[in-house]
Amino acid sequence: MPALRGFLWLLGFLLIGEILVTLTGLPVSAGVVGMLLLTAWLLLHGGGFGDIASAAQPLIAMLAMLIMPGVVGVFFLIDELAGQWAAILAALVGGTLLSVLTTLWLMRRLMGEAHPDPADPGHE
Amino acid sequence: MNELLDHLLATPILAIALTLAANVAGIRLLKAVGTPAWCPPVLVASLLLAGVLALLSIDYADYRRGAAWLMLLLGPATVALGLPLHEQMPQIRALWRPLLACLPLAALLAAAYAVGIAWLLGAPPETLASLAAKSVTAPIAIGITEQIGGSVSLMMGGLLITGVAAIGFVGLGARLLGIHDERIIGFALGLNGHALGTVHAFEIGPVAGAFASLGMSLTGIVSALLLPLAWRLVGA
Repeated sequence: MPALRGFLWLLGFLLIGEILVTLTGLPVSAGVVGMLLLTAWLLLHGGGFGDIASAAQPLIAMLAMLIMPGVVGVFFLIDELAGQWAAILAALVGGTLLSVLTTLWLMRRLMGEAHPDPADPGHE
Repeated sequence: MNELLDHLLATPILAIALTLAANVAGIRLLKAVGTPAWCPPVLVASLLLAGVLALLSIDYADYRRGAAWLMLLLGPATVALGLPLHEQMPQIRALWRPLLACLPLAALLAAAYAVGIAWLLGAPPETLASLAAKSVTAPIAIGITEQIGGSVSLMMGGLLITGVAAIGFVGLGARLLGIHDERIIGFALGLNGHALGTVHAFEIGPVAGAFASLGMSLTGIVSALLLPLAWRLVGA
């Protein structure tokens, strides 16, 4: 049962994250702390993660579905927010357009000369 | 009929089955019409799910109580992102300087642009607080939104729209600016488009996926630390 063993590993790191967040009062979620701990642990051990991979890959693939139950709630707010929808949509779509362009432009600038674009993927 | 529905809603099974069914149907539907790249299945699936809930006149609060069991998996799924992060560590190490320089500014701007536009258009303070965490991954965004006094439901809807918009605009922007580097594209997807952008980045390739995971988690951390603080400074 590699997937079950892997899932247990993930739950273990999540629990450690939960403990750390509770004890230190960090405003970050237990999942993110668990993820950083898992990365650090994998770096220290370097090999043989078949179990974790068989649990991690399907979970990552359904990440988008996992937020759906929260997301559909917005369709039931439509009346409550009447008259504000234009402002909300403009803010979300316009804001995202601006921030995406900022990120792309900033990263290209910062990476610019020091790290030329690896145009040839053969060396990866 | 109503009694039967109440009985079925007493356990989470129906809510979970409806969510999975909407997801499968969304993916099928997009495949049938030839999946346009900017439209992630989750958008279609959410619309389908909302339609079915309305049709069966299931109360959203009842549905959500059941589906919360599914959302519990968000925790281990977030932890799971440590694996691709580890696999791409050499790539990430080579770029740590530009990544760290770009992140705090880009993460704060992601919030500031949206809040600024809504403020200019005259949205009330509660709506502004619901928009601030729009680019942050759901488990962290919920905490931030509660802390600064926004509506979690509106924020989650904002997450969906932001994710879809980020996927479209990153593709468009990369073409416009002539960027082909999977590392930049992935990082921008995770930073602006949270989990939805990250899922899309994994479809582009493993390098983009890992950089998206990195962008998503760092944005989450920076926003959790700085947004409530910035909110107090601006609001005062």
